[in-house]
Amino acid sequence: MTSPIVHHTFVIEKTYPHAVTKVYAAFADPTTKARWFAPGHPQPGATFESDFRVGGQERLTSIMGDNTPFPGAVLSSQALYLDIVADRRIVMGSNMMMNGTPFSGSLVSFEFEAAGDGTRLTCTHQGAFFENADGPQMREDGWRHLLDRLGETI
Amino acid sequence: MTEPTAARVFQALADSTRRDMVERLTDHALSVSALAAPYEMSLTAVGQHLAILEAAGLVVTQKSGRVRTCALTRTGFDILEGWLKARRSPWEKHLDRLGDVLDDDHTI
Repeated sequence: MTSPIVHHTFVIEKTYPHAVTKVYAAFADPTTKARWFAPGHPQPGATFESDFRVGGQERLTSIMGDNTPFPGAVLSSQALYLDIVADRRIVMGSNMMMNGTPFSGSLVSFEFEAAGDGTRLTCTHQGAFFENADGPQMREDGWRHLLDRLGETI
Repeated sequence: MTEPTAARVFQALADSTRRDMVERLTDHALSVSALAAPYEMSLTAVGQHLAILEAAGLVVTQKSGRVRTCALTRTGFDILEGWLKARRSPWEKHLDRLGDVLDDDHTI
């Protein structure tokens, strides 16, 4: 049974004390992007590749760990670079899949602008969440696992 | 003893007297009688509030001679912090990490 799509938009603004070219490069260079976007990589079964050009694809695969609600599940995303203007903006369309089944589709825009000596990054995420998306149940499960782990460490 | 959990922490802090106790213990430890002084309640009732704060991992009490001392402890606050961090969206986490990578890396 399918349920209606849930749409949700959010905006995150961050200011980094680094030049626009450096912040932009952390998106454009696949090796650097993997360091913050796919921090578990490299690990068994995890892959990250980015063909950074309009029409190019970014693919991310990871295996959910033992401390997650779905240990061993394959979480993956496929993204398409829709627009790239160097040091100005990057727009991507992507989906997220669990074990090959999509659970969300997103339009993500990154806008870069100088703010003093730093960079203001505006990330606008417009998402469509399908059934089985990261809803309250999954969050609750995630939290329960986190608490269990906390309990083990204290 | 029962393990502190987020439920216990939230339950403990849901009461205004117990929040006040935690706030008053922020800067320094207090004896039970000093802690109890401003409240119009019996020492037994104060002891019950303290037991709830202890079970939540927010406060520890220690007896030294004839004086029982209360102080804040980290466990419950770490649970709260973990709960708050877990509420950040994946993108907020990604962009926090981007900040760390930018700070670390002087070659890009």
